[in-house]
Amino acid sequence: MAQSTFPGGGNPFGPGASGGIGNVREEDEAADTLGSSTGPFGGTSYTFGGPSASQPPPAPSSAFPTGGLPDEYNTARRTSVSAESLNPTSEENDNWKPPFHKKTADQLSRLRSAVSSNFLFSALEEEQSSLVLGALVENNIPAKGIKVITQGDAGDYFYVVERGNFDIYVNPSGTIGPGPEGMGKLVTTIGPGGSFGELALMYNAPRAATVISTEGSSTLWRLDRVTFRRILMDSAFQRRRMYETFLGEVPLLNTLAPYERSKIADALEPRRFKSGDTIIREGDPGEDFFLLESGEAEVYKSDAGPNPVKQYKKGDYFGELALLDDKPRAASVVAKGDVKVAVVGKDGFQRLLGPVEGIMRRNDYSKVEETKQV
Amino acid sequence: MAAALKNALAHPIHSNKRNSQYRPPPINEEQKEREKRFVLDFQNKNISACPDTNTSDVKERALGAASKQLRVQDFDLVKTLGTGTFARVWLSRFRGQTSECKSKVFALKILRKVDIIRLKQIEHIRNERNTLAAVAGHPFITTMITSFSDKDSLYMILDYCPGGEVFTYLRRQKKFEPETARFYAAEIVLILEFLHDVKGIAYRDMKPENILLDAEGHVKLVDFGFAKKLLNKETYTLCGTPEYLAPEVIRNSGHGTAVDWWAFGILVYEFLVGQPPFWDKNPMKIYEQICGGKIRYPQSMAPDARDIIAGLCKVNPAQRLGNLTDGSAGVKNHPYFKTIDWDALYHRRKKGPILPEIKHAADTSCFDEYEDAPEKKSVYTSDMAEKYDKEFKDF
Ligand SMILES: Nc1ncnc2c1ncn2[C@@H]1O[C@H](COP(=O)(O)OP(=O)(O)OP(=O)(O)O)[C@@H](O)[C@H]1O
Repeated sequence: MAQSTFPGGGNPFGPGASGGIGNVREEDEAADTLGSSTGPFGGTSYTFGGPSASQPPPAPSSAFPTGGLPDEYNTARRTSVSAESLNPTSEENDNWKPPFHKKTADQLSRLRSAVSSNFLFSALEEEQSSLVLGALVENNIPAKGIKVITQGDAGDYFYVVERGNFDIYVNPSGTIGPGPEGMGKLVTTIGPGGSFGELALMYNAPRAATVISTEGSSTLWRLDRVTFRRILMDSAFQRRRMYETFLGEVPLLNTLAPYERSKIADALEPRRFKSGDTIIREGDPGEDFFLLESGEAEVYKSDAGPNPVKQYKKGDYFGELALLDDKPRAASVVAKGDVKVAVVGKDGFQRLLGPVEGIMRRNDYSKVEETKQV
Repeated sequence: MAAALKNALAHPIHSNKRNSQYRPPPINEEQKEREKRFVLDFQNKNISACPDTNTSDVKERALGAASKQLRVQDFDLVKTLGTGTFARVWLSRFRGQTSECKSKVFALKILRKVDIIRLKQIEHIRNERNTLAAVAGHPFITTMITSFSDKDSLYMILDYCPGGEVFTYLRRQKKFEPETARFYAAEIVLILEFLHDVKGIAYRDMKPENILLDAEGHVKLVDFGFAKKLLNKETYTLCGTPEYLAPEVIRNSGHGTAVDWWAFGILVYEFLVGQPPFWDKNPMKIYEQICGGKIRYPQSMAPDARDIIAGLCKVNPAQRLGNLTDGSAGVKNHPYFKTIDWDALYHRRKKGPILPEIKHAADTSCFDEYEDAPEKKSVYTSDMAEKYDKEFKDF
């Protein structure tokens, strides 16, 4: 059974927190879609602060509990949490590489599907995901009755089951007690493909359950928090610095202060194209600005015949005039092989830095190369 | 103000060649008296409650400077006001028989070095002291008047906020009246504007538990344990309170001051609804909901409140209100705040919507009862002092 989180959800906010099973809060899908994620930024520009916001505020949810607080809400004071300090620029990290433990193709695909339903993993980029899976290390459990984790103890690892079954016990007191009874109630069993302990990937919280092996020669894969969070940090850090460097080379944007560049780097969103895909089409209204992050692309102009007039490679950018005016695209850009670009739209740009014209005016914009004007 | 007074903390005796081993510095009785005077006088000025009165001390950087003279023995610890993960905050006053000593009280926050080391919070504690010193004097932030240390512990003398936690009032009332919520929200906007735009500091632990009320019902932000000066660079260490963590903190993609605007959106929601928008018994489920960013609003919530929350709680920080080109002005100009006179608010011209019932300066009836400090105390050994005392030298 694939059980990716502890049932009863151990509440690490305080000792003696009791757990129920899973999420008993009533769900209302239709109402959920009215929430903020479908909010006012659906491509059109939206100004806050004006007395007449152009988009209506999110609608209330009809399913919202009206009779006060749902009983289960924990109204106690909440404690802060924090993880180890992570600092990408400190010297000790300079040569840090995530550990790599070789796995067979079968093992990898089993691991991939084991973590696919976990939101911490499912949003990872391909490169991050490979690093994370590579860092999982085998943990052999030779006998029955071995406690892999103990309720109440500090939690540092996340586990995926490769072989064997593991029983999960919860003691309602929040910590394991003495003797066999001390483990509390058996709440579930986790078998191959299941995983447990993922809160340890966030910060060090007391374990919410005890996990014990039920047979000999079982195998787990495990991953520690610092490795996991460093992988995420390093790739985010590198991506930001790469974007900032790319942006620094765009003449139209070279009057931006470094902090403005890093704001734009923040707003860039990755987008992927397959070989032959049209990234921008001649004649279309221009809205987005592109940085070519990996791969190559070719530029075609209808009045220049069937051959490409220009090639773009990693670090090149195009479409920047879209930030300035709404003129139609002057050429098409087509992916040659797999291409990854980073995109920011005119509104995204303006939301962060104000009207583009103002920024351009800091610059002599006649310097912009003709051939670049896609 | 007498010149001697002004200089009281302006020139703390700092030895540059401080040995890593703790050695109690010799006490200079005269200097100590000046420092006591400074601490006592702070209250006279603070009571007038006008944000401009403290400016000269702030400019001279006297407020918040470390003291090498004060000792915990100089204080009576009257009662525990609150406890955190590793701190205990005491209502305290100077030991002494004068009526001034008896009538003037402070909040003394005590942190044990062993606990700080055990919980790997050295960097956070340093940030806390240094950001509190940097922001001392703001009308809505608790003022650290001075700090000091001894062999085992670190101490911060804070102005006492007798009203207790906004959290307590919120839980008692279940949810706030719209105007009460708006008032607190607006004062907090002024705090964030100051921290972000003037000081470049991210606060990173916004929640009703960390907002206290002063005698006139104005907010005072406490607990700068996670505050950090950012210098225009993103930062990565996960910290905060589960229900208030921003998506980029959970995903570890690097975060900045925008996390405070996210948490501020959660806060306004909790003020108006009585519970935060993302909640589950299982914390991982909370984090999954946060990263999904779908908020459900009750029918009773006004449209402009819904709109500001939706703008603040944008999963993508590049789209988040408060983090856009107009910064905190974007929040202040939102229709939700159209009735707020920001200048009057900053100058505390009106009293707050909830006036704490306080009978005298040292009244602690707004605070919960706490048990005495636990007995089992691990010791800060001289080996540890050798290794770590240099980390605490700012105190
Ligand atoms: N200046 C003050 N006046 C009155 N009470 C205070 C003051 N400062 C702190 N307190 C009380 O003490 C409690 C704990 O203080 P604080 O939050 O600073 O400690 P902490 O250990 O850093 O907390 P946490 O573990 O939540 O981070 C506060 O919630 C509050 O109730």
